[in-house]
Amino acid sequence: MQCTSQQIANVVLIRVEGRIDHTTAPDFGQALTAHLDGCSGEEHKLLLDCSGVDYMSSAGLRVLSTAAKRCRAQQGEMVLAALQPMIQEVFKISRFDKVFKIFPTVKAALEALSPSAAVAYDGI
Amino acid sequence: MVLDTITIPTQLPCLAQGIAFVVACATAAGLPLTRVREVELATEELLVNICHYAYPGETGTIEIHYTQDDTHQLLLEFSDTGQPFNPLDLPEVDLPDDIEQRPVGGLGILLIRTLMDRVTYNRTGEKNIVQFMIRLPH
Repeated sequence: MQCTSQQIANVVLIRVEGRIDHTTAPDFGQALTAHLDGCSGEEHKLLLDCSGVDYMSSAGLRVLSTAAKRCRAQQGEMVLAALQPMIQEVFKISRFDKVFKIFPTVKAALEALSPSAAVAYDGI
Repeated sequence: MVLDTITIPTQLPCLAQGIAFVVACATAAGLPLTRVREVELATEELLVNICHYAYPGETGTIEIHYTQDDTHQLLLEFSDTGQPFNPLDLPEVDLPDDIEQRPVGGLGILLIRTLMDRVTYNRTGEKNIVQFMIRLPH
């Protein structure tokens, strides 16, 4: 599991890659926590690009749930983009697809989150 | 007929051996990759729960048996000699859409129940025995 981040206007884009299971979930949690501090209001939003995540167990869902609760408490916003089919299935079973705003692409997520970030982004 | 067996310690870093064993069995049985992934996920969830609930604060072992019978299904049997632990007895987790009202955790058993075609539990002697039944493609 690997996370890399990029600031795009008022959005922090976090690219998550690899497996998120009971062994890698703690690292995933640490990587997310580093970005949660400032996640509040319009100034600092989080977008998780999950296109590189090919496996997620409930350990990963637990990390996302904890992060989402914290974001909510801070009036922050965290959204997800580009879920692979297996992750979509796990989200559907656990009804995480009702909890999170999920977009088909990073570009679509940025357009919904922040017009300035969407303009500044040069990917898809 | 038992085709293969592995015994692993109930330590979280060791569970990968059991998961890899199940993935190899499911692949050898002819399941498509997406179904193999689902079996892998259900296995991880079960093994982690056994570690937490059957062996709280201690280490034991889990045996995994891979069986194929004439009913055209793959059988995976997980047995341990820990405390009685029936994963099917755990209460169904409440899943409100509002994140604030959601408990953190409790989703592993839901994933197992949903992804496996059939799950059974028996306490036989000192053993917890959980079976996953997975239909094979025709």
